[in-house]
Amino acid sequence: MATYSLLVTANPYSSQGQLSAIQFAKTLLEQGHELMRVFFYADGVLVASRLHAPPADEINLTKAWAKLAIEKDIELIACVTAANKRGIVNVAEAERNALTGNNLDPAFEISGLGQLTEAMLNSDRLITFG
Amino acid sequence: MNKSICIVFNKTPYGSQAGRELLDIALMAAAFDMPITALFVEQGVYQLLKGQEPDILDIKNHSATFKALPLYGIEDILVEEDALQKFNLNVQELVEIDGLKTISSSHAQSLLANSDFILTL
Repeated sequence: MATYSLLVTANPYSSQGQLSAIQFAKTLLEQGHELMRVFFYADGVLVASRLHAPPADEINLTKAWAKLAIEKDIELIACVTAANKRGIVNVAEAERNALTGNNLDPAFEISGLGQLTEAMLNSDRLITFG
Repeated sequence: MNKSICIVFNKTPYGSQAGRELLDIALMAAAFDMPITALFVEQGVYQLLKGQEPDILDIKNHSATFKALPLYGIEDILVEEDALQKFNLNVQELVEIDGLKTISSSHAQSLLANSDFILTL
């Protein structure tokens, strides 16, 4: 059994990367591996917005990640620089940048790139979904 | 022993943010005392081309930051020789970085095979 972390850079609704990442995460947990952290970078951070409203018969990727994170106790971390640039902000970042609102889904955390390096230090494998 | 990371630059500089975002990963990972190699392959060699002026396109120029890699303790900066030839470039046309070396494609392959983590965007 191995410890995994994932790096997700895929744009949520324009490509398949996020879906593949969720399916990969579920499968590796089913097989008894450990998933330490999912780090969202580049366009991947867009999935951390709680304001996505896809059609009712399509998957809501944010909720799919959130469900996995809550059920399996997995860290979902979005890079602060990538997120701020793309309009994904938590309460603290919204205040710091004098923005009129915030949109980070509560299942996600905003943090720095150091969390990605730390994930590599503490995992056997890092798999990128771009 | 600390795990090694190979960061692979394989895209041209300004058509995507990949180069700049990989550079940020490299600089952050360097602070964690992990052995890091920056590898430039295929069109990624254009990341290092001298005299870039992306500011006329309102894009921030990150090419000078590559020069700072050795200051951050990243000393293995390797450029694929075949890629330079393919695009008719030579080392003199690249930004001057201490310790920059050209390597063969087979050397690049064995480097990838022996790295604990390979990152590209």
